[in-house]
Amino acid sequence: MTVSLLPHQQSERPIELPYSNFLDLLRTHAEIAPAREFLIFPESGRKYSYRQFFEIAVAAADWLGNIAPKQSTIGVVLRNTPEFLAIYFGAVFRGMTVVPVNPDLAAPEIRFIVENSESTTVFYDPALKAKLAGLESDMFSAVRFLPFGDVADLAKIDVAAVEARLPQVEPTTPAAIIYTSGTTGYPKGVILSHMNFLADGKGMSEWFQFTSDTRSLCILPLFHNNGLVVSLATTLYMGGSIVMVDPKSSLRSFWALVERYNATFTSVMPSILAAILAFGFEGRPGLLKGIICGGQLLPLSLAEKFEARFGVPIFEGFGSTEASSYSCFNPHPAEKRKLGSVGKVLSVCEMKVVDDADVEVPDGTEGELCIRGINVAIGYLKLPELQKLRFRNGWYHSGDYGYRDSDGFYYFRGRKDDLIVKGGEKIYPAEVENVLSLHPNVAESAVIGVDDAILGQEICAFVKLKDNAASTEKELLSYCAESLARFKQPKRIVIINRLDDMLDLPKGPTKKILHRELRDYYQRRILNSEDPEGLKWVLGTQGPG
Amino acid sequence: MTIQELYSAVSQVAEQVLQIPKFDDSTNMISTPAWDSLKHVQLLSAIEREFGIEISGDDAFRLTSADRLIQYLHEKLQAEVRE
Repeated sequence: MTVSLLPHQQSERPIELPYSNFLDLLRTHAEIAPAREFLIFPESGRKYSYRQFFEIAVAAADWLGNIAPKQSTIGVVLRNTPEFLAIYFGAVFRGMTVVPVNPDLAAPEIRFIVENSESTTVFYDPALKAKLAGLESDMFSAVRFLPFGDVADLAKIDVAAVEARLPQVEPTTPAAIIYTSGTTGYPKGVILSHMNFLADGKGMSEWFQFTSDTRSLCILPLFHNNGLVVSLATTLYMGGSIVMVDPKSSLRSFWALVERYNATFTSVMPSILAAILAFGFEGRPGLLKGIICGGQLLPLSLAEKFEARFGVPIFEGFGSTEASSYSCFNPHPAEKRKLGSVGKVLSVCEMKVVDDADVEVPDGTEGELCIRGINVAIGYLKLPELQKLRFRNGWYHSGDYGYRDSDGFYYFRGRKDDLIVKGGEKIYPAEVENVLSLHPNVAESAVIGVDDAILGQEICAFVKLKDNAASTEKELLSYCAESLARFKQPKRIVIINRLDDMLDLPKGPTKKILHRELRDYYQRRILNSEDPEGLKWVLGTQGPG
Repeated sequence: MTIQELYSAVSQVAEQVLQIPKFDDSTNMISTPAWDSLKHVQLLSAIEREFGIEISGDDAFRLTSADRLIQYLHEKLQAEVRE
């Protein structure tokens, strides 16, 4: 099949995908092994074979055809449930685009995503009715909000007849728009096609030699690309099975779930490994064949300690939402790895390291990591300037910095900008600063990421109050809670009017706030001070309490 | 303990750990952002200390609402009394 590729999706080693879309993939496995287990949901006790869930997805597609306009975009505010996946597969079977939304976002944040994506219909967990009620009344004429609590409510259909009526969906048709933090303070929508998901699924499943016997434990949310691609698409690609658990309740049960369901692989953020060690959760060594890990810097000491304790190899990788998920991995099997590296590039893409002039640098030289291939996204939604900046000269420019060694192994070193990565969640300072700037007593603010032993980073805000204003840290924290999801709320707000040695936020010649100087100040004056309260949360010692 | 007594005892613990104003039969994990993954671990640990019980990993991931938590505790404490 000839597919028209964007410049940043073309590479010197073209890849043929045996499936053209999600319908093709799921139908194939439902035909090859209809009775094989596909999805297991331990919380509700529900489980589905490939054929059973294929029929549910086709029924959802039929229902959606009566509800949402053709090829429209729909929002999904659901947890890791059969309901999420029924809507997801049903929509993409019809050529619709799904916008997965984090149920923990504050109402204004959900509103932004729904409006920006021009979602026509939003399906939500009935437990969220109170939160979404305001939005529903505000946006009633433009958007339809529908609670969806049980796939069993889908009408019984003639599967073959409905399937025959489904439109042909091209590989390049958008399947999902995943929102990720943006430098301007507003999240940016990354448009991913069927081809993108299938390509990354192929690349990773081949890398880790997944088979139909592979059983993945999915403890990351499906509203992020990691859950959707690594746990779902990658396992589905080879016809394996997936144990789906709510990420918020799974941490303490991690080893029990691995053991009870004989999971062979799972995908985590480094913060999950840190928490398992910090809380002292016990597991039988050698149960898992591997743990896929990324999303934030994995300290080598953490990886070594975890592997020594539990006997499970950790495969660190590098990627981004803009490249569907991962683009490179430490090699499998484990003996081929180089610990500390994010590994070698997958078969479905290419990577290179460039300098500021966009010229490829020699091995061993640090520069910006770039990716191209069929796993790289269509681009950003309604952000043409950013699109030009990041997707230029036939490559996606990640904004992440690192180098490649002479053996072709890549090493991630960090970012040049001020992106905060807290437990795998990405937060640009502007998201928090924009909210603080709306407070009537705040003259200006600056937000930085500071070290946290479990989450990797926490959020600290420096605030300058207007003259004669008297807001407290507690008041400003409550104010943030009204507009920001919990994971974006600062852990601490430092009011600089009360500091003896900071009259103003540090600024450069163009009056741009110097976040690096604030990070240095934080290290020098707060982290290393005699302030035991400060130390308590910065070091994460209150986490396991 | 009756269900009502359990609610009263658990609410005090949960409101303190989760730092929420009210923990009642309408509280659940999905509509309570403060009830995150780390807080879930802390909440279950606090309940274990309060009631002198052990919550296994096989049960912990199911306790995602006030109702489920109270029902679980009720059954667990009754079973201990029978033993």
